[in-house]
Amino acid sequence: MKPAPFAYVRPATLDDAVAELAATDGDGKVLAGGQSLVPVLAMRLGRPGTLVDINGVAGLDTIDRRGPALRIGATTRQRQVERSPAAADVPLLGLALPFVGHRELRSRGTVCGSLAHADPGAELPAVAACLGATLEVVGTSGRRTLPAAEFFQGAMSTAVGMDEVLAAVEFPVARPGEGFGFAEIARRHGDFALAGVVTRVLVTGSAVAEAVISGFGVSDRAVTRDVTDLVRSAVGQPDLEAALRPGAEELARDVVDTAGDAHGSQGYRRRLFAVLAARELARAYRRSTGAPA
Amino acid sequence: MTTTQSTGTRAPQRPVKASADELIDVAFTVNGTPVSVQVPARMHLADALRTNLGLSGTHLGCEHGVCGMCTVLIDGDAARACLVFAVQAEGTEVVTVEGLGTQESQHPLQQAFSHHHALQCGFCTPGFLMSSYDLLANGDGEVSPETLPEEMSGVICRCTGYRGILAAVADVAETHPDGIPEPMNCAPRTLVGRGGAAHASGGAPAGSPEDAVEQEPTELIRPTGTPTITVEVTRQLASPVEDVWAVMDDIDRLARCLPGAEMTADLGGDRYRGRAKVALGPVRLKFDGLAQITERDPGDHTLALIAQGADTGGNRTAADIVLRATPGDDGTVLVAEAKVFLSGRIAQFGRALAGDVSQRMFEQFADAVDRTARTGTAPEVGAGPSALRIGLQAVGAGLRRRAALVVSAIRDRRRRRQES
Repeated sequence: MKPAPFAYVRPATLDDAVAELAATDGDGKVLAGGQSLVPVLAMRLGRPGTLVDINGVAGLDTIDRRGPALRIGATTRQRQVERSPAAADVPLLGLALPFVGHRELRSRGTVCGSLAHADPGAELPAVAACLGATLEVVGTSGRRTLPAAEFFQGAMSTAVGMDEVLAAVEFPVARPGEGFGFAEIARRHGDFALAGVVTRVLVTGSAVAEAVISGFGVSDRAVTRDVTDLVRSAVGQPDLEAALRPGAEELARDVVDTAGDAHGSQGYRRRLFAVLAARELARAYRRSTGAPA
Repeated sequence: MTTTQSTGTRAPQRPVKASADELIDVAFTVNGTPVSVQVPARMHLADALRTNLGLSGTHLGCEHGVCGMCTVLIDGDAARACLVFAVQAEGTEVVTVEGLGTQESQHPLQQAFSHHHALQCGFCTPGFLMSSYDLLANGDGEVSPETLPEEMSGVICRCTGYRGILAAVADVAETHPDGIPEPMNCAPRTLVGRGGAAHASGGAPAGSPEDAVEQEPTELIRPTGTPTITVEVTRQLASPVEDVWAVMDDIDRLARCLPGAEMTADLGGDRYRGRAKVALGPVRLKFDGLAQITERDPGDHTLALIAQGADTGGNRTAADIVLRATPGDDGTVLVAEAKVFLSGRIAQFGRALAGDVSQRMFEQFADAVDRTARTGTAPEVGAGPSALRIGLQAVGAGLRRRAALVVSAIRDRRRRRQES
């Protein structure tokens, strides 16, 4: 399991990194944490001619609070986010990160790298989708920002061009009255999920103002739906989760379109999604009202 | 409010630019000793530790980040030494199992592993020791019987050592509530590499057989057994069924409808040789393969074929495919059914991805058939920006057939996406 030979560049600035990528004419890959990329190289499923290592670029390993958003730089490790008091303002990161691979992978793996890799079974793209995160991409033609809905374009495919680097991501911090849920089912802890959900419910006054769910492991990318009406109609019922179930099952038929594989059929994934969706929407609602989760 | 927190604890690494066959000087600290090695860019840290520095306590299992055998500490946090290139270790502090303790003066974790018989063959022990050190040194101090198995799930044992391992870690956590001792064998000393300069200069030879050997399948066999993926896709085309069939019946034009695919030879008897490229994020595969049309029914507008392909990396794919065009309300309904068989590393990697990719490929394929049916002109080989850009420059002999594969429920998908 040795990668095929590649040229290695470790530039000192983001501009140099972009220029080096552009010079590879599409045969270069960005190396940040490498926890998704290196296995691909080791298995020789990918043989880029050049790796552009951005770990030498100063100022990319930051966690900034910028007004209503938490900004995480391109080389910030997942484990550093787990430890960051500032990241507690985005509760979904704290809920999801323990499920991203193992501790040993999060030591090196980056938040932005997971987003840029865009595995359809990965947790962080779903968190970005559910929160409506903003992604900042830098290339030879300058800097642009994209909402998560435009960033993710398919399985392991994003809007990042061949001469561009995902420089940072901004997650909106939790607002008062906002509650969150996260759950996934994987065969072993640390594996990619067979199905998973990320939920967000905003309550203003006593009314449900917003409810959003993103499913992952269920399609070629995280699938996000506005479920405000569903949650509104179920709130007030004696058993909220049970009241959400029929709607969640209908939702599962809509969003779960991944093919089955040896680990679970499409039908099984739909059932997982429906159960998790009802449970975690109910949990997000309870959290939004300050009730015990 | 803006507060900035730089998470970095050390100076940025120096700039490097090296060609693939160049050796790179890397300086870092191992078990308290400053070291300098010369390595090719593709050599991972575990190989540099073992080969260049003689620290063979770091074991190698899978070498793609799954088994945890090679776990070491990098700047205090446990990490897979097979998923970090040695060149990336520049300026870091690495601790290996050799740094944890010595035979004469064992770390409490090593004593506990011994006491609880937390090993049988011992191959995974270095990984478990470094992973458990990280847990107890860097965790919040609480280790519960409920969460410990998950916390230790980053390393795999294959000879039933888990109970002993968990007991050992729980024991050390309990006896050291205020934290465990630092690694006990980290002091400057001389490290002597094994194998001399030839080995020290790095991993496998650049031209390993896998890089060179071209595999060219010569025989076509109908695949049997349980398919890796079963796919069924239905696509509504605007063109009339006769026009669609004209494309299906012309293998040259049909092949061109698969992005990235190319027919290279007509072998006669409805057998064809072709090649195809698949690009999916960092994954880039080139397949050479064969296809044979096994049934061609102009009345029913049905085409059946089997296909197989292989790449130079030992990945193999085979498919049993049926394409059927039927007149629809407003054009043609094109249905593809396929059983796809994958082997090699692509099968390990695949999960449900392969099926989903196949679905995307078929969408593009069907659209290209529709376009070709309308214009009469086949697209250029591999040309045309795909809707998914790099997503799906699909496929040839083998994999390209997977395109035809694919999944159901495609009908409303694009519309739903647009609404969402």
